[in-house]
Amino acid sequence: MLFNSLDFFIFLSVVFIIYWFIFYKNIKIQNSFILLASYLFYGMWDWRFLFLILASTIVDFFVGQTIHHSTSDKTRKAWLWVSVIFNVGLLGFFKYYNFFIGSWVDFISILGYDLKSTWTLQIILPVGISFYTFQTMSYSLDIYYKRLTPTKDFIAFATFVSFFPQLVAGPIERASNLLSQITTKRIFNYNQSSEGLKLILWGLFKKVVIADSIAPIVDDIFANYTQYPASTLVLGVSLFSFQVYGDFSGYSDIAIGTAKLFGIELMSNFKFPIFSRNVAEYWQRWHVSLSTWFRHYVYIPLGGSRVSKLKSVRNIIIIFLVSGFWHGANWTFIVWGGVHAAFYIPVFLMGRNRIYMNNVVAENRWFPTITEISQILLTFALVTFSRVFFRSESITDAFGFLQQIFTNFTYDTYQHPLGYRMIDYFILLALFVVYEFKIRRDERSPFKFKSKVVRFVMYTLVILGMLLFFDDNIDRSFIYFQF
Amino acid sequence: MKKLILKSALYFFLILILLEVLVRIFHLGKDTPARFVDEHEVEKWVPNQNGFSVTGNRRQNFSEYNINNSGYNSYREFNPTKNKIEVALVGDSFIEGFHQDYYNSIGKKIENKLPNIEVYEYGYAGYDFADQLHLVHSYKEQFQLIDHIVLGIKFSNDLDRGAYNVVYSRLALESPKNRLLKKSKLLVYCKSIGILDPPQELIYRFISLFKSKQKFTTKSDEEISRIKKEKEKQYLTNFESLISTYGYDKERYTLLLDSRITSPVFLSYLEKNNFNYIDFADTFEATNRPTTLIYDRHWNNHGRQLIASAITEYLSKKEFQKPKP
Repeated sequence: MLFNSLDFFIFLSVVFIIYWFIFYKNIKIQNSFILLASYLFYGMWDWRFLFLILASTIVDFFVGQTIHHSTSDKTRKAWLWVSVIFNVGLLGFFKYYNFFIGSWVDFISILGYDLKSTWTLQIILPVGISFYTFQTMSYSLDIYYKRLTPTKDFIAFATFVSFFPQLVAGPIERASNLLSQITTKRIFNYNQSSEGLKLILWGLFKKVVIADSIAPIVDDIFANYTQYPASTLVLGVSLFSFQVYGDFSGYSDIAIGTAKLFGIELMSNFKFPIFSRNVAEYWQRWHVSLSTWFRHYVYIPLGGSRVSKLKSVRNIIIIFLVSGFWHGANWTFIVWGGVHAAFYIPVFLMGRNRIYMNNVVAENRWFPTITEISQILLTFALVTFSRVFFRSESITDAFGFLQQIFTNFTYDTYQHPLGYRMIDYFILLALFVVYEFKIRRDERSPFKFKSKVVRFVMYTLVILGMLLFFDDNIDRSFIYFQF
Repeated sequence: MKKLILKSALYFFLILILLEVLVRIFHLGKDTPARFVDEHEVEKWVPNQNGFSVTGNRRQNFSEYNINNSGYNSYREFNPTKNKIEVALVGDSFIEGFHQDYYNSIGKKIENKLPNIEVYEYGYAGYDFADQLHLVHSYKEQFQLIDHIVLGIKFSNDLDRGAYNVVYSRLALESPKNRLLKKSKLLVYCKSIGILDPPQELIYRFISLFKSKQKFTTKSDEEISRIKKEKEKQYLTNFESLISTYGYDKERYTLLLDSRITSPVFLSYLEKNNFNYIDFADTFEATNRPTTLIYDRHWNNHGRQLIASAITEYLSKKEFQKPKP
């Protein structure tokens, strides 16, 4: 069930009404109902994988209790390893098994041996596995680091693991934020629900209008890159930057908005990364829940930046490579992570990685300065360059794409594969960037206007945008579902 | 909670009104002319209407239509006389040409190339061969004055029936309910871009839950081939039946067809029985530019230009008797 489908909105309306009108008095029943709804939501994809979620839930619920009650450090560590091995094992089997086998076969063939790849399996990747395994692991890790007291309420914990708004593509929540809300009685709040609806509307706009309308252009350019000049390839990868942003941040907005309807506040996942002034700021604004996860559970335990410069650089390289690998079982993602590490390290060494942590571009001004615009454009160019690896099917394709840019350095007008006017998309993106800049101070309030009339006009224009760019023939699934 | 539901409903309603206004201002939805059945039981458009035909979202194709006094989309009135040369194009929506401004139609393109000929376009969406021959027969006085008649035919679509009768399912589009729904341009626009398909599919899915499921059987290649042959035979019988009912002047009538999608059996039948036809397959095959619109399979300007050229080339070889001195 996709967030941008009619089925989802019918499902959401029914769950919302039952949740607030029938089960509002008893939190345990309310949680049980949300758990049931979440399993139904997930089971609509493939009910068999519900057993994986359930297994991960049971393991971490039990591990959390055991770690908490153990006094010996050795025992605590051993149980932590049980959680890590189980969750990483699930990921390893379902997501990375064929990649490891394939890479091993390739490596052996380089050494001159012909090993047939007979051990590869036909495995379907369970939707959202990378997200919920990280979430359950974070629970055990937090208990191990004594940042959290485990819950005794299994239903609440299972709801935390499988809460449907964020189950399949995040934000990856930590128990200290989400579980504590699940175990607390929720009271209907008009403002919160209203904010939720606005976020859902804005998320749908980003998905339907920005991401989906650009998708056929990006698909065409990446599929036929050998036939296009540099100008078209640069256009293709730049549009992909907008596509993936619209797609994933749109999903996150709908997830956060939906959670708000149930009285739950999820963490922000995107904070206008397109206005980042350097790569470090970009990572403070892009997929925040994953960056936070890696910082808390990988980077800091490795010593973070409190060790020697050399070790810090090593730690940065590790988290970017692991983060790349988390995205997919393909060398393209690992190289993508490596490229980001290469962009991040100079910023870190110059001590500029934290300078934009607590402010947005042109914080108290209407317009950014020329310097800021240059910084934003440079960051966008670097991030977009890395996306060649992120989007390409293979490393060969990625390097072929880049080679084509440098060897066929010419300009030609690009024609939309379906014959649409390209100017429509350029105008759309220009308006989108301007509007995002206008609302850049608060990612959770996309329609923050004092005048009710202006707000109403904005809602209408956003819906009109969806009507103008809706295309029935486009695959409307979300990009991050594949991770 | 009540406040949220009431306010959402109010906003929803107000937004719909504003969207309706915006759709009308930017003319995103198409106008739909009214249709009727005349005294000869010929289905056609109500005379003397005009409006705009819009295809796709963001007005991917926007064109003006003009229904003349005879009930067809054309820039000219149809007044055939003995001392002019007239050619009639009879066919379905491809000839009707709502997808292009009426003053730049196939007929006009032919007239631009052959200035001494007047082209009358009797195009109507959904017309099959029975409709076409019934029309020509019903208005035989008028058509007898016309020097040449080109009949558009698609073998796989236009020979489903061997006798004419009014297609009431098409006229159901004129029901009071449908006319009322069409008054909302927002609804017309949403329907045209497919945004209303998911709710409709959902309703069908819901209904199908209560219906007994039909067993899906796959047909063997032999069976498919047998069915195809039977259909071809039936289409040929229908063709013969229609021309024997309404008559067919082989000297004055010419079929317009695409041999790529026409059965070889039918083509050899036409050859054998000396039926004239214009085949535009080669012209379409030779071009490397798209010949159809983005949003539907109707010919675009280039496609219509090619059709006009094919007809012009054919007509220029004809020796018309008129105009008389």
